[in-house]
Amino acid sequence: MTRQNINRFALILVGVVAFGLPLVLRSPTYLHILILLYLYAYLTSSWNLVGGFAGVLPLGHSAFIGIGAYASTILSLQYGISPWLGMIVGGILASITGVLIGLPTFKMRGAYFALATIAFGEGIRVMVENVDNLGPLKINGPRGLQIPPTNIGFVNYMFNGKEPYYYIILVMLLGILAITYFISRSKLGYYLNAGGEEPEAAMALGVNVARAKLIAMAISSFFTALAGTFYAQFTLYIHPKSVISLDFSFEIAFIALIGGRGSIAGPVLGALLLRPVSDFSRIYFGATLPGLHLIIFGIVLILVMIYQPRGLQEPLTRVYNRLLDKIFGGTGKKEITHEYS
Amino acid sequence: MNILEIKNLVKDFGGLRAVDTLSLSIEEGEILGLIGPNGAGKSTAFNCIAGVYPPTGGKIYFAGEKINRSKPWNLCKKGLARTFQIVKPFSSKSVLYNVMVGSFVTTDKTSVAKEKALNVLRLLQFEDKKDERAGNLTIAERKRLEIARALATEPKLLLFDEVMAGLRPAEVDEMVQIIQNLRHQGITIFVIEHIMRAIMALSDRIVVIHFGKKIAEGSPQEVASDENVIKAYLGDEYVVS
Amino acid sequence: MIYILEDAINGVLMGSIYGLTALGLTLIFGVLKVINFAHGSLLMVGMYAAYWAIILTGVHPYVALVIVAPVMYLFGYYLQDIVIKPIFKAEKDVREPITVIIVTTGVWYILDNLTLLIFGPTYRNIQDNPLKGKMLEIGKMFISVPKLWGFVTAVITAAAVYWFLQKTRMGRAIRATSLDREAASLMGINQFKVYNVAFGIGTATAGIAAVTLVPFYNIFPSVGVLFDIKGFIIVVLGGLGSIGGAILGGIIIGLIESIAPQFMTATWTEAIVYGLFLVVLFVKPSGLFGVKYDW
Repeated sequence: MTRQNINRFALILVGVVAFGLPLVLRSPTYLHILILLYLYAYLTSSWNLVGGFAGVLPLGHSAFIGIGAYASTILSLQYGISPWLGMIVGGILASITGVLIGLPTFKMRGAYFALATIAFGEGIRVMVENVDNLGPLKINGPRGLQIPPTNIGFVNYMFNGKEPYYYIILVMLLGILAITYFISRSKLGYYLNAGGEEPEAAMALGVNVARAKLIAMAISSFFTALAGTFYAQFTLYIHPKSVISLDFSFEIAFIALIGGRGSIAGPVLGALLLRPVSDFSRIYFGATLPGLHLIIFGIVLILVMIYQPRGLQEPLTRVYNRLLDKIFGGTGKKEITHEYS
Repeated sequence: MNILEIKNLVKDFGGLRAVDTLSLSIEEGEILGLIGPNGAGKSTAFNCIAGVYPPTGGKIYFAGEKINRSKPWNLCKKGLARTFQIVKPFSSKSVLYNVMVGSFVTTDKTSVAKEKALNVLRLLQFEDKKDERAGNLTIAERKRLEIARALATEPKLLLFDEVMAGLRPAEVDEMVQIIQNLRHQGITIFVIEHIMRAIMALSDRIVVIHFGKKIAEGSPQEVASDENVIKAYLGDEYVVS
Repeated sequence: MIYILEDAINGVLMGSIYGLTALGLTLIFGVLKVINFAHGSLLMVGMYAAYWAIILTGVHPYVALVIVAPVMYLFGYYLQDIVIKPIFKAEKDVREPITVIIVTTGVWYILDNLTLLIFGPTYRNIQDNPLKGKMLEIGKMFISVPKLWGFVTAVITAAAVYWFLQKTRMGRAIRATSLDREAASLMGINQFKVYNVAFGIGTATAGIAAVTLVPFYNIFPSVGVLFDIKGFIIVVLGGLGSIGGAILGGIIIGLIESIAPQFMTATWTEAIVYGLFLVVLFVKPSGLFGVKYDW
C-alpha cells in the first residue's frame, strides 16, 4: 500500500462518512452546525486561492459574498429568476469586481494591499447600506432583504429541513477542494506559487505575476459569491452588516491562516478546529461571556503565527504521517513530491 | 547576426549616472564577458537589458527587435533569460518544482513541463537532487539551480550575473565546463564575472567597463594587456583565482 | 455662510484630534514598517484607562494624562516586546513582515473582546466633567471647548514627538532604524530596543488622544474600530511615517466630515472618505508628505 493509495482511501472514507452523516445524525441543530462548518471551510478554501496561492492578504472578501447574495436575491425576488441562475450572475459580477479591485491593488506591497482590500470591502458595505433603490432594483439599505420561504423546490433553491442544504454545501465544498487541487498542479498554480515566493525571479522566468494573481482573484471571487447565494437561501435574510462585514472577512482570513494558507488541507483544517470553538462558546457562553470565541481566535492566531507561521496543517500532517507509519509501516519520512509542498 | 545590440545605453539614478553611453553587440553563438571593478555598472546594464530598469537613454535590440521597455516575462518568452547575482530560489519548493516553473514558458501541460525539467536537470548533472527542498541546498547547488531554471525557459541568450561568486576553485571549474557545454546547445551567453580565471577561460570576447563607461574591448589576451584596464584595476580588490 | 465657517473650524479641531490618534500609527509604521491593526484597540484601552482614572480620582480629565500616558507607554512597550518581537526575529529578512500585521489583528480581537467581556457593552461617558458641552462664543459662532483643548494638545504632542525624533539620541536612533534597520544595527543601535520604544511612544500618544476624546466622546468596547480605519486613512493621506502629515491628514478628514454633511447624508460622507483613501492609495501611495518608498 503506497502512501498515495492510503491517502486516497482515507479521503474516500471521509467522503462516504460525510455523505452518510445526515442519515445518522437527525438533530437539526447539529446539522446546522455542520452546514456552517462546511460553509466556512468552503469560503476559506476559496479565499485561499488568493490569500494562500497568490501570497497576499485580502481582507475584504466578504464583499463578494455580499455581491453573490444580493444578486441572486434581487433577481429572484423582483424578477422571479431561479436563484441558481442568479447565483451564476452573482458569481460573474463578483469576478469582474474582483478583477477591478485587483488591477490597482496587486501592484501594492503587502500592508497596503491589505488596507486597500479593507477599504474596498467597507466602501462597498457603506454604499449598499446607503442605497434603497438602484434604479429599478430594490436594495433596501441597512434593512436588508428578506426571502419568504414559499415556493419550495429545487428550482427555487428552497427546501424544508436542513438535509438538502447540507448536501448542497457539501458538494460545493468538495468542488472547491477539487478545483484547488487541480489548480495547484497546473501551470497557474506553479506560477502563483513562484510569484508569491520570489516575484522577481518568477518574472525573469516568464511569469506574468500580476496576471496570474488577477486570474486567481477572478476565480476566487466567483466561487466566494456562490456561497453568498447559498447563505441567502439558507438564512432567508441578508443585510449589509451580515454579508459584507469586516468581521466576516477577518474570520475567513484567520481560519485560513491558522489552518495554513497555501495548502489545500489547511483552510479546511482551520475551519474544523475553529468553528466548533466558535459555535460551542457561543452556545454555552454566549450570554455570560460574549465574544469569548473571538478572544480564543485571537490568542490562537497569535500563537500559531509565532510558532507555526505556515499553519497548523504542517505539524498535523506530520502527526498523520507518523500515525500511518505506525499502523502500516513505512519509511517514516514523507516523500516530498514536486507537487505543491 | 547580432543577437544583442546595445547603442549608447544610459541609466541614471537621480543624479548618479550608473551606465554612461555603453555600446556593444553580441554575435549569435559567442560568449561575451563583461568585467569591471565593483560598482562599475555591470549589473545595472544587465538589469536594463532584462527589463528590470527602464533605460534613461539609448536603444537595446534583441534579435533585431527593440526591447527598451519590455517586461521581464515577455523578454523571457522571446528567449532572453537571466540569473540573479543574489540567487532567488523558490526555497519552500523542490528543485524539480523550481525548474518546472521555467519549463512552463514553452508548454501549458504539467506533465510536459516535468519531462523538460528533468531533461535540464540531467544535462546539468543535477538530477539526483530533484526532490531536494531548494532552501536546503548549498550555495554551489543553488547557483546550479539558478542556471537550470533559466535554461528550462529554452533561451537564445542567457545573461549570467556573477554566477561563480562564492564558489570554490573546483566548483568554478565545474561551472565553466557547464557553461561551455551550453554554448554547444546553441545558446549565446553574456556573462558578468569577477573571477578572472573563469572569465578568461570562457569568453570569446570581453568588454571592460569602469564608472559606467566602456574602457576596453577585445579578446581576453588583448584586454588583459590593455593599459586602461590595468590602470582601472590597480589597487582594487579583484579576485584572481 | 457663518455656519460653514463654524463647521469648518470645529472640523479642523476635531480633525487635529483624529490626527493625534493617527500619530502613533504613523510612527509605528515609519519605524517598524508595520501597520498596527491594533492601534484602534489601544486607543480604546486608553479611553477606558482615562475613564477609570478620572472617575476614581475625580480629577480634571487632562490631569489624568499624568497617569494614562506613562501607563500606555509601558503597555505598548511590553506588548511589542512580548508579542511582536518574536515574530520579527523569525522574519528578520523579510522587508515588510505580513505575519506581524496578522498578529496585530489578533491583538485587536483580543483587546476588543476582552474589554467587552470585562466591562460589558454599555456606552459610558463622563457626565459631569468640566469640559463637557462647553462652547466658546466667537461672534456668532460656537466653538467646541473640549475640541479646542484637543487641538492644542494635538499640536503640542506632535511638536514634542517631532522634537524628540530630531534632537534626542534615542530619537535619532529611531529615525536611523526606520531608514535602514540593518545599517542602524551595524552602527550599534539595538533595533529591538528601538522598536519597543517606538511602539511605546506610539501607544502613549494614543493614550493622550484618548484623554482628549474622553470629555466628549462615548466609550465602548468597539470604539476603537472607527478610529482604526480612520487612522489608516489619515496615515495614508498624510504619508506613512510623517508626523506633520498625520495631523494634516486628520484635519482634512475632520473638514470633510464637518462640511460634507451639509450637502449629503452622513453615510455618503463615509463613502467619500473611503473613496478618497483609495484614490490616494492608487495615485500617490506615499501620501502628501510621506517618504517615498520603492513600492
